[in-house]
Formats: sequence, C-alpha cells, structure tokens
Amino acid sequence: MRGSPPRHPDEPKAEFSALEGIIQDASDLKVGDRVVYPNQGVCEITGVELKEIAGQQLELVRMRREEDGAAVMVPKGKVPSVGLRRVASGELMEGVFHYLAAQYDDPELDWKVRHRDNADRLVAGGVLGVAEVVKGLHALSRIRPLPTKEREQYDNARHLLVNEVAVSLAVPPGVAEDFVDYALMPPAGTKFVLKPPPKPILMPNRPKRKRIVVDEEGDGLEGLGLDDLGIELVEGEAVEGEAATVEGEAAETAEGAEAGEEAAGAEAATAAPAVRVAAVAPEPPPTRVGREEKPAKAPPKAAAPKKAEKPAEHAKKEKAPARKAAHPAKAAPKAAPKAAHAAKAVAKKPAPKKAGGKKK
Amino acid sequence: MIRLVTLDKVDPGDIHALVKILYAAFGLGTDHAGDRAMPPDVAAKDGRVDAVKLLTEVEPIRLVADDKVLYITAAPLSLPAGPLGEPPCWGYAVYGGQRAVISLSKLPGRGVSEASVEAWRNRLAREAIHAIGHLWDLHHCYDARCAMHPSWSPNLAAQPDHDLCTFCREKSERKIRLAKT
Repeated sequence: MRGSPPRHPDEPKAEFSALEGIIQDASDLKVGDRVVYPNQGVCEITGVELKEIAGQQLELVRMRREEDGAAVMVPKGKVPSVGLRRVASGELMEGVFHYLAAQYDDPELDWKVRHRDNADRLVAGGVLGVAEVVKGLHALSRIRPLPTKEREQYDNARHLLVNEVAVSLAVPPGVAEDFVDYALMPPAGTKFVLKPPPKPILMPNRPKRKRIVVDEEGDGLEGLGLDDLGIELVEGEAVEGEAATVEGEAAETAEGAEAGEEAAGAEAATAAPAVRVAAVAPEPPPTRVGREEKPAKAPPKAAAPKKAEKPAEHAKKEKAPARKAAHPAKAAPKAAPKAAHAAKAVAKKPAPKKAGGKKK
Repeated sequence: MIRLVTLDKVDPGDIHALVKILYAAFGLGTDHAGDRAMPPDVAAKDGRVDAVKLLTEVEPIRLVADDKVLYITAAPLSLPAGPLGEPPCWGYAVYGGQRAVISLSKLPGRGVSEASVEAWRNRLAREAIHAIGHLWDLHHCYDARCAMHPSWSPNLAAQPDHDLCTFCREKSERKIRLAKT
C-alpha cells in the first residue's frame, strides 16, 4: 500500500504492509458494500462509472461518504494503493476497545516524529491505527494541552474512530462515542477485565537525518565528516589553517574598523574556505601568488553537500568575534586596545594578499 | 434555534435560567416549546428509559432546518451495552442531528438554599450544553474544564463550569455559521 511521500529525494518512498480486510482487487467490490476510505471515513459503493479524464478513458469506482453524502471516485486500478478496506469486524473492534482501555506507554515526545507517525497510522494503520492515534494523543493531553495541529488531528482521528465503531457495532455515533470514552476515561472505581490487546501496527522505520555534532571545545573540524572521505588531518596543517584564519582575522580587524559590518561578513565568508583548503587539499608548491590563493583542486563531489552545511555553521560562530572587532567601542572596552594593537602590528607587516584582493 | 421540551415537571425558574445560559453559550435563540408526555414502551424493567428509543418515539414538535430540540426528563436513561459494558448515561444526542435528551436523575440534589439551586442550575446547563454540542457535531473533549468533557469522567470537578473550551467553541461557531448560510 502506498505511504506518505518521502521527506527527502534520497529517501525511498514508504510502503506499508497490507492489513487485514484491505481490498486488493476492485472487482471484489459490489454496489451497496460499505468500505472505509482512509482519512475520509465510511463510504458506500454506489457503482462503477466510465469517465474521460485528460483524454483517457478511466473506470472509476464511485462511493458515497455516509457522513455527509459526498461523492468519492477512485480509479479501479488505484483501489489497492489508496488503502480502501472493509469495515472492521466485531472481533477486531473488541480488540480495539481492549487496547483503548489498556495502560499506555509514554507518548512520543518529539512532535515532528509523532505527527508524521500519526498521519501514517491514520492512512495505513486500519482501525487499530486510528485507535492508536486517539489513545496516544489522549495520553499526551494528560501531560500538557495539545498544540492546535495535533488537537485537530486528535479530533479527526476521534471522528473516524467513532464512525467506524458505529458502523461496525450497528449503534448510533452518539452511543459509539460513549463506548470509546468509557474505555478511555472510565468512571472512578470501574475496572475492566481486559484481554491482551492486539499487536500495535508497525510503521516502516525511516532513516533519521544525519546530524553533525560539533564539539564545542574542539576546533570544530570533527563534524566535517572528513574521516568518511578518507582524509586524514595532519596536526600541522590544521594549525596552519588556524593560523591563516587568525591572520585573516587580524587583517580584517584593521580594515573592519573602517568598513564596519560589511567587512565582518566578508571575513566570515573567507575564513571558512581557508580552513577547508588546509584540510582537503595537500598544500601545492607556492609558485605564484595568484595560484596560491586559489583552491588547488576542486573538492570531491561526494563532499559537496556536507561541506555546504558545515561552513555555514562555522561562519556563524566566527561572525560574533568579527562583529566585536568591527565595533570595538560597542563590544567591550577591553577589546578596543587589543584591536588597535593588532591593527598597528598589521600596519607594520605587509598584509598577506587574499584571494580576490585589491590590486594596486 | 434551540427549543426545550420537558417530559416531566421542571421548575419554570430553572427553565428560564437554562434558556438564558443556552442563548449565551451558542448565540442562538432559545425558548421553551412546552411539555410532552413520555412515550409508552420506552421504559425497561429496571425502570430506566432507553435513550435511543425515547428519541425515536417521542412526540415530535414543529421544527425548521437548523433547529435543535432538547428534551428534559427526570427519568434515568440507559444506553445499549458496548464491548466493555454499559457506559453511564447522563443524556444522549443524535450526533449532528436535531434531537437530544438529558436526564435530571444523575444531577446532584437541588437543595433549597440559593447557592445549591445555583449550583444545580449550572450543572443542568452543563449537561444541556454538552448535549446540544453533540447536535452541532462536537465530540467529547479531553479538557476537563470544557462542557464537552464526558460527564462521568473522574477528572471532572465537583462543580464543573458550563463553558466550552476554545477549540470546541470555535468549532461550534463554525458549524453554526455554515448552517446559517
């Protein structure tokens, strides 16, 4: 059965396992059958129609939503993939009630994971999946009030569950809702004799996004993923890279005092590549000044996406000191003499030329 | 419009107070449409009245589209038993429909002092708002301070308020607005 769309292009599309009662072939459907359309509710099959859509002759199964009489049409070929299923049997429904009345584990606290998981359960989990959403969000609401999105999701799930219970047990929806809440919130002193609840629906595990953890105390190069690329960082190179960065900063401090924040931004942008060059490429023999400043080799293709994330973080971190240097008077009174001293030192020495620097 | 119909004798002062509270809660005109007799053959052997059967067999009153009618009875009500047993019944409403019934039998004693009468009226109003909320497509709410919280819940306060929570109020207002258009 088709799942929700993937979060990333690299991630494979989720495929859910077929549940009990799911309709695999549209030819099994007859007029008057009652089926459950995921996220829509209980529908009644009213017939099969032939329609021309975008120049194609399509055979559509026509359904009427029982709740409000809305028409739902599904191409015959897509019936198995949309997750159309039979209304839950009495036995399964009894299991659902035992599940609702049972103790609940701690709810998932990461709302993004929870929200997506609940959305999947509503689509592909069958009646037990809907009950899981209701119970999970109900358990969470005891800890704290639900945010608006989840409150709506809870209300929708409850609506779907109540309607299916009503159809399955042949009772009015008002009574079905009392059954559900009697199991969820039993009156004081009520004890149920519960059977072991049915196994919860297992949703496909999605690979979590790889997070780069930057060591606050380290030099910040561990998180670049250089080990994955087979690049070993030599101690001296890293130090040289740092030195280059410091030098760059010092030069910028002198200019930055005049240029202000624009210079700070430019410094942040140039500082990160300095580190990258030192780490990735073996130092080429310095022949000409212009060549030395350019990156010797194009970075390997595989490293490109990871590097795009890292320098941005690195640049952010370096922006703060750069701003301090750019506004010495505002930043701290102690920093002012230091910056002035550095400017003097730089003025004595010829400033190292930078990539794309000024030409005289 | 909300129309109240009494199946047993209720104090006119209580009905008057209820009319005012329902008008404030839903912003809809509310009136007392008179008394009706309890239909025969709805009472079970244990003396309770089948709520579902009562609403189908009670003598109808004249209604126009979007009108809601609330029957008030002193008789205890019952519901069919579910997979885990029979839930306690304070009232019953046809979800999204036009008819609802509430029972006075489960309310705490009315008393004679002004404070106890006021508390009793508040509790009556809560049950009435709860039943009419179901008629406007509201489900039960997990918020124990909301009038849509189940009446048998152990989390309910001893003297619960008769207000709807923000979510339920907005939903009912949306439904009422749609119905008017």
